Formats: sequence, structure tokens, C-alpha cells
Amino acid sequence: MGKSTNVSGQAYAFMAMTPVKPGEEEALATYLRGLRDAGPSPFARVARTHLARFVIVPDFHNDRTWGQRKEEHLEVPYLIFTSNFDGDLDSYLDELCKALGPETEQIWGRCIGCPENASGATLKRYLKHNQIDTGIFFAAYGTAPIGKVKQALAHREQVMEFARTSQGLEAAALQKAFLAQFGGND
Amino acid sequence: MSANATPAGPITATGTASRNACGQAIAITVFSTIKWWGRLFLPVLFFLTRNFPKLTVTLRQLSFIHFARWAVVTKMPYNGPPQRKGRLRYPHMYFESNFNGGWEEYIDAFSHILANGMSAFWGSSYGFPKPLPTSPFKAYIQVNETEADHYYSAYPDATSTMIQRALVLDDKLAALQRRAKSMEPEAFAAAYRAFLTDVQHCI
Amino acid sequence: MAATNVRMDLADIQGDILRAYGNDYDCTSYAFVHIDCGAEQAREWFAGLIDHVTTAEEWPAGEKPDTTLNVAVTAAGLRALGVSEQVVGSFSHEFKDGMANRSALLGDVGPSDPKSWEPGLGSGEAHVLLTINAKEVADHQRALAKMRAAMDAAGGLRIVHQKDTALLDGSREHFGYADGFAQPAIEGTSDDKARGGGVPLKDGKWRALAPGEFILGYPDEDTRVDPKRRLPNAPADPLGKSGTYMVWRKLYQDVALWRRTMRDAAKLYADGDEHKLSAKAVGRWANGAPLEHYPDKAPDEYDPKTARDVNDFRYDKDLEGMKCPVGAHIRRSNPRDALGFEGHLSFRHRMIRRGMPYGEPLREGSVTDDGADRGLVFVSFQASISRQFEGVQVQWLNAGNIFGLGHDKDFILGDPIGTGKMTIQGRPPFFLTPQEVFVRTRGGEYLFVPGMTGLAALADGTAG
Repeated sequence: MGKSTNVSGQAYAFMAMTPVKPGEEEALATYLRGLRDAGPSPFARVARTHLARFVIVPDFHNDRTWGQRKEEHLEVPYLIFTSNFDGDLDSYLDELCKALGPETEQIWGRCIGCPENASGATLKRYLKHNQIDTGIFFAAYGTAPIGKVKQALAHREQVMEFARTSQGLEAAALQKAFLAQFGGND
Repeated sequence: MSANATPAGPITATGTASRNACGQAIAITVFSTIKWWGRLFLPVLFFLTRNFPKLTVTLRQLSFIHFARWAVVTKMPYNGPPQRKGRLRYPHMYFESNFNGGWEEYIDAFSHILANGMSAFWGSSYGFPKPLPTSPFKAYIQVNETEADHYYSAYPDATSTMIQRALVLDDKLAALQRRAKSMEPEAFAAAYRAFLTDVQHCI
Repeated sequence: MAATNVRMDLADIQGDILRAYGNDYDCTSYAFVHIDCGAEQAREWFAGLIDHVTTAEEWPAGEKPDTTLNVAVTAAGLRALGVSEQVVGSFSHEFKDGMANRSALLGDVGPSDPKSWEPGLGSGEAHVLLTINAKEVADHQRALAKMRAAMDAAGGLRIVHQKDTALLDGSREHFGYADGFAQPAIEGTSDDKARGGGVPLKDGKWRALAPGEFILGYPDEDTRVDPKRRLPNAPADPLGKSGTYMVWRKLYQDVALWRRTMRDAAKLYADGDEHKLSAKAVGRWANGAPLEHYPDKAPDEYDPKTARDVNDFRYDKDLEGMKCPVGAHIRRSNPRDALGFEGHLSFRHRMIRRGMPYGEPLREGSVTDDGADRGLVFVSFQASISRQFEGVQVQWLNAGNIFGLGHDKDFILGDPIGTGKMTIQGRPPFFLTPQEVFVRTRGGEYLFVPGMTGLAALADGTAG
């Protein structure tokens, strides 16, 4: 599991699709949707995560007018978890499974086949078992890990502010102000 | 053109459901059912796209995408009943994107500018209308789209374009920082102006 | 792509949309009427009105009317005239929502928040908008008196908001800029304006826009590429055909603040030439000459109404923004080919603009506010408020990402947050700052302008 098609630069695209236990869909949806108001996202604890999502897919869409001869239905809803993160899969899942401890029961604990009190290694095994490989992964800045992205964004803000406020300064004052803000010979 | 022609579908708002947004980042999640020939065609398409970067040049130029992916699901990993064992009757294609700007503008861009790409990726999906005109295409995406239940961005205020340009700026800033202390003021001022000229499209 | 080759039924479309009435009509009044009485009584008054509504038909030479009248309705107005919920439901979502309810989306926050809007606007009271244009003040007064008399005679009606406007010298707006002459070129109506006003094509050519981008019931740009030639979504007939949506927005302009800001900022730029700095913020010199053709100095004696190069330009040779800054107001509101891809990211976001300045000009040279109310009544016509008006407002004016400008907003209109700035590209660049609240929204409405058949159906009570 884990082909190179999941990789772009140093970024990895992980997807797990896990069947939801019958009757648990509504509770799972309510829980996931409530995460936004409950505080910072649990993903914030996994620093290597760029963008991630949970999506419950209740069923496939069937439309007779589209010429599909037979319908296809999911036997249960499925929970999709995708993450776009830095580095290798195994160490990421180690971090994720450790950080999402309290949430596991509420999320994957509601899915079929998830071990009782799953955490750490057992949860990781469950997620890897349910991994769906990517066909094509497009990453606009796949070579930049999160630290670099955040640093660059912060520097951009600082340069904007400096450029704005230092207009008209004479050379010596400009240099002094620049060194005070950005240092030198880093 | 008949005066009785049926209107081309619902007019969509510029936004999307609020759970699909995290600051500047917008999530789109689409599943489509694939016809038999897509089973053969799509892996080839993916292979070609991966190995011939020229095909994604336009996608890269439309710099408002952070990350996007396509995956073909032919079989669900088995975890026990009541899950069914075995392959799915049809392959299904999963598409997700993380982008910035209006949902409608995003789909419009794909309709008008990446029409060939859209046909290549979704042409083998049941019900796919052509990328143009835009209204039926938007309606198709909407019907196949699922709203995210939870969406996270590590940098919600930043757009993909901002990040890409910030990375360019960062390298140039580092270069200036390395030289700043040791220069005479006039030389520094000239170097600073050159730096600003160089990064003016990044800020 | 097939041309649409459509004949417009000008007798069925209201005037001043496809073609402007023109600057002869230098007084315009906007009266928002509220219907207190029942629908049947209101319809009687309405029926009397529509006999005098001006259509899009061309006037025979020398026979321009002294005054013109046009009528638009809000969603609340449709209901007050007795239109069924089912038919009201067929109108666009944003029209039914109303402009005031969409303030967060539109950036009408802080001093522009609807809770500070003027009485009668954004409150749901505005039902029917009467727009009266007149050539002379005397005709104007007479037309207004006639309007009021008809209302009094009918009973159960009152004006909840009225704005009287008049052209300023040289057709300028209050920041001093010639305005109103750059409009979309519409197939079948203004093909001659395609160079600059239409869609920029790959080979340097231009083409006019499909009429359905501006008038419902006609093929739009989507129809052009649809093998089935489907028409765009429109309200249920008979109201849909020949109608269009209208955006009306009263924008207060703080002229003293603008002048002061430009004067102070220009000290560090162009050696105090505030006219140049100001032109960079707008994209044109005050006399209308575009920076793309005149990047360094305004041409003397320039008449935007007759100059051949006033609108005939594109941005492909100036993608860096060295002549006309990337974030200049006119470039944001109509990027032409600046976004690449043969204008395909911008061609469906055009609007017809017919606004008027209001209020007395601030004394020339004064940088102190005199407390007078002055600004612009912004009026636009478009087939889709959300795609055309809101799309521009939200994605191009109140945001900068599509242009690579991060969170920078339009310097004139954008609501600044603390450290707002505009980059004036150059070697080196200049940063125009601080960005202040130069313009405040004092009120507005989303309206629908029915065709003549639609108006008659409203008056008859047969609109459904």
C-alpha cells in the first residue's frame, strides 16, 4: 500500500474510506460538523497537515437518465478522510493516531472494523488497511513543507509592512530599519 | 433558436455551502460513476498526466489551487459485515480540490479553459455533459458533489497564489539579508530597491 | 462558436439599458415608491404609469422627448403588486434576498453597514423605482410634479426614498474623473464598440458580447456554445422576457479625504504629482485618457466621448502593470485580457452602467470636508446580479487574489482593514497608503426591470 502516485514533491495525499456502522451515520455527522464550533480542529495538533477533510458519502448518485444500466448503491454510508501532508506516510500516521486519541472513538470508532479502543498502532493499521491510492495528485507547492510555507507567509507580511512604512527613508536610516526588522547575515 | 427552449439549469450563487470553506480555502468533493471503458482509459490518462508535466501547465497557471487529486475506486477494503465483499459493480472516480475564490468562478475556469482536461477526466463518467455550456456542467458537478463535514486548513488566511509567491519572496529576502549588514548604506539602498522591484508581484 | 444574429425587440425592452439616453439628459431623479394600499388599487396606478414608460426604440431625428420614465420593482414590490409566491420564486436568489441581506458578502460593513443606511433603502419598504430623466430643470420639475400628482390621485402610495441627481461639468464624478463612457459592446446594438468594449480575442481582434448577458430572453454567452441553444435562466414569462436585473447603490464619496490622501502620498511619489498618483489608482487620467496609452502624462484637450483610443486597449503588453497598475480601479472592474486565457475568466462579468453623480461639488482645491452629501448613484444592468455585479464586487474589488494581489482591495472602493495599501508597480514599486474609507454605501436595492409586456402583465394582474 502507498504507491508513488500518492506523492508530489515531498507532499503526500492520503485517503481512507471506511464503512460507517449502521445507525451511526447521524451521530457521526453531528460530531464532525460540531468540531468547527468546539475549538481548533484536531488536525491542528498534527503540524505536518496542510489541508484535510472528513466527508460522509451517504450513497452513490444514480440517475436513470444517464444511461447507467444498473444502479449501484453503497450498503452503508462511508466516511472519507483525506489529508495533504508533508513527508512519509508511516510517521505521519504515527503522529496522527497519537494526536487524535480522544476523537478516535467518536469518528473511526463509529466505523465497521475499527478495533475497540483503537489508538496508536491499532488505529494506524486500520487506516492503512482502508487506504485508497491516488491516481493523480496535483500540488501547487509540493516541495515546501509546512514550516517553510508559514515562514514564507510571515516574511511576506513583514516585507509588506516594512515596504509600506519605510518609504522615503534615507539610505542609512533604511538600512538601520531593515537590519532591525530582518537582521543580517542570517 | 426556439423561444420555447428550456432554460439551461439552475443559476448558482458565487459561494458554496459554509462547511466547505475554511478561511480562504474552499473544498470540493465529487464522486462520479465510471463507464466500462473508463476502467481502461483512466489509468492511462493518469499515467500520461503524471509523466508529461506539460499537460498540467495550464492547471498550474490557474494558481488558485492548493492541492487536488483524482482517484479511481474499484473495490472497498473489506472490514466485515454488513460491508459487501468483492469489487464494486462500477468503478467510481473520486475528485477533491482545495482552492480559492468563488465556486462558480472555479468551475467556470475549468469549463472555459480546461475543457479538454475536463472531458478527459470526466468524459467516461455517466451523465457527464460537455464542459461547455457552463450551466449543465455546473449542475452536473453540484449533483455529484458532497459537502464536507469537517474541513481544515493549516493556513486559512493564505491563498495558494500568496503561498507560491511568498516562497519566491522568501528566497530573495534571504539573499538580501545575507548581504545587508556588510554593505555601505547607498549600496544597500540600491540593493533593497532592486529586491523590491523583484518581489513587487509577491506582496 | 456561432454568432447569435438575434434581432432585439426594442419596443418590448425599456430604454436606457441597451443604449444610454445620453448626456443631454442631465437631471435624473430616482423615486422609490412604497405601496400601502392593496394590490388591486396599486395595479391601477401602475397601469397609468406604464403608458408613459420609455422603450428602447430609437427616436426619430430631432424628436428626443423632454423627459423619460422607466420603472423597476423589488421582490417586495412584486408581492405588493399581487404577484404569486410561485412566480416570485422564479426570480434569482440574490434578488429575493435583497442587497441589505447580503452586506457581509458585498463588504457593506463598518460605515457602510445597512444599519446606517438612509431611510427607505434596504428596509424592504422600497417597492417600485421610478427613474425620471430630463433635459432641462423645468421639464424635470414638471415630470416630478406629474408623478406625485398621479400618486396622490391613486392614494395609498408614498415615496420612501428619493434621490435627485445632476451631471457635473465635463461628465465627471466627484473625485474628478470622467466617467460612464466605457460600456460593454453588445451584439446587434453596439458592435461598433467591440474594439475595447467587447471580448478580447487571441489575434488582437475583439467581438461584441451576446445580448443575453444583459437582457433576459435572449441568447447569452453560454447559449453560443450550447448545441441545444438553451437560453439562460430567467423569471417565469411573461415577466422574464425582455427584462433585466438592476443594481442601485448610493455611494457617498469623501472628496476631501481623497484629495488629502493623494496630496500627502504623492509627496513621496512623482515629486508631489498627485494627479499622476491618482491616475495610477484609477487607471485613467481625470480626463478619461487610459494609462495604457498615456502612461506618463495626460494628453491635453482629451474628450473621452470622441477620442478613438479611449477604450481601445488591452493589457497583454503590460501584464506587469508598469503602465496601468495591476490593481487600478478600471483594471479590477474590467480586466479584459489581463487574467490570460483570452479573457475567458472575465468575459461573463460585464455590466452596463448608467449611474449619476449627486450633490454639489466640493470647492476646487479644498481639502476640508464641508459636511455636504455628495457621491455617486451607481446603477448597473445585467442578466445575473450574482455573476456580474456581485462577482466583480466580491472577487475583483474587495479581494485581490485573482490578480496576485493577496488581500489588497480596490484602493478607491475597497473597505480597508488597518494596513491597506495599493502597489503601484514600477522600478522600484511605490506603495500607496494609507487606504482610507473614501466611499461609503448609504443604501441600495436589487431590482428587476420588466419588459413592456411584463409591465403590462403586472398592471393587469396577469403576471401569475
